[in-house]
Amino acid sequence: MYYIAKVDADMCAEYKCNTCTLYCPEANTLMFDKERNTSYVDVDRCKGCELCVYVCTDMLSRNCVSMLTPHELKEEQALAAQK
Amino acid sequence: MAIDIYKINPEFRDIMPQEIIDLEENATWAQNQKKPRGIKELPDTKELLEEHSLCAGCPEAAALRYVLAALPKPEETIIVNSTGCTSLMFPHIALHTVHSLFGNQNAVASGIKRSLAWRFPDKVKDVVVLAGDGATVDIGLDYTLQSFFRQEKITTICFDNEVYANTGGQESGMTPKGQVFKMAPEGKKFEKVKMWELATTSGCHYSINMTASAPKAVAKAVREAILIARDIGPTYLNIYTPCILEIGLSANEGLGEMKDQDKDRFASYKYVSDEAAAHLIKCKEEGLL
Repeated sequence: MYYIAKVDADMCAEYKCNTCTLYCPEANTLMFDKERNTSYVDVDRCKGCELCVYVCTDMLSRNCVSMLTPHELKEEQALAAQK
Repeated sequence: MAIDIYKINPEFRDIMPQEIIDLEENATWAQNQKKPRGIKELPDTKELLEEHSLCAGCPEAAALRYVLAALPKPEETIIVNSTGCTSLMFPHIALHTVHSLFGNQNAVASGIKRSLAWRFPDKVKDVVVLAGDGATVDIGLDYTLQSFFRQEKITTICFDNEVYANTGGQESGMTPKGQVFKMAPEGKKFEKVKMWELATTSGCHYSINMTASAPKAVAKAVREAILIARDIGPTYLNIYTPCILEIGLSANEGLGEMKDQDKDRFASYKYVSDEAAAHLIKCKEEGLL
């Protein structure tokens, strides 16, 4: 079982910061959407190291990033699509 | 090498992977930009590194992202590397890289730099050495120092993880005193080599000791070092990128470890020769920095 990072877009958009995208060790994995002012995760590339959680929660105390299993992520996306 | 080699033949465009198309359309090449490249472009452009095979959370991978983002002219840069974890990433980089024998990287880079200067006298070609501490300071110390003595115009970047990490954890010259590893069970008996000071006394015009905990600082140092190496002489960067596996940390603890060492073994050290300092001021006026 492995985990994938998920950015809460609404919370992230309040800060307009892209600190996590700089600290992610993977290339082109955590990217920043300039129109929506939020970071987002390329799910296929994420290795689940949780460094973005360390940056957002421990360094910046903002709690915008959480770790989910691929199954939970799918369920959440399905829920969002229903809305 | 010109940027033209990244242009895709229109006939084959429909069968090209998206990553290759992105490289042409959305990567930051110096030729297409008015401002100097930097880490500010990392969040929304295609990087020159693609799906590397290093461990999850490896600080070395993050440091490599900053180095690649800070190269002043990637299309005219050749990176020479040596065996180690770094060499696992080089097949995934969209630049010319040369893999040398273990420890030989500075000798190989010297040859490449000289032959490029002879072949392309009117073009700027940067040669950057990127290797681990084993290749730079332990086995290749002779070649590294000799290239400084000869005043070769190359930039040497050492990713110092203080251990031979990908062979199972043997101690290297950069390992701190007393440190125990899987294949060094008695602990190291002598002090860590202060390579950044050795580089200063050996004739480097720019020598830095830092950790990769601050992306901006790493990018600035890389840029300055390469610009000085173009015109003045050898430059050396020692960047701490801990091996989280060998020192027993979780994937998300590498950054915290680097922040701790900012005040300890890797307290900031920076040497810039007078000649290089004057050159940096000139570069700033020309808008290269």
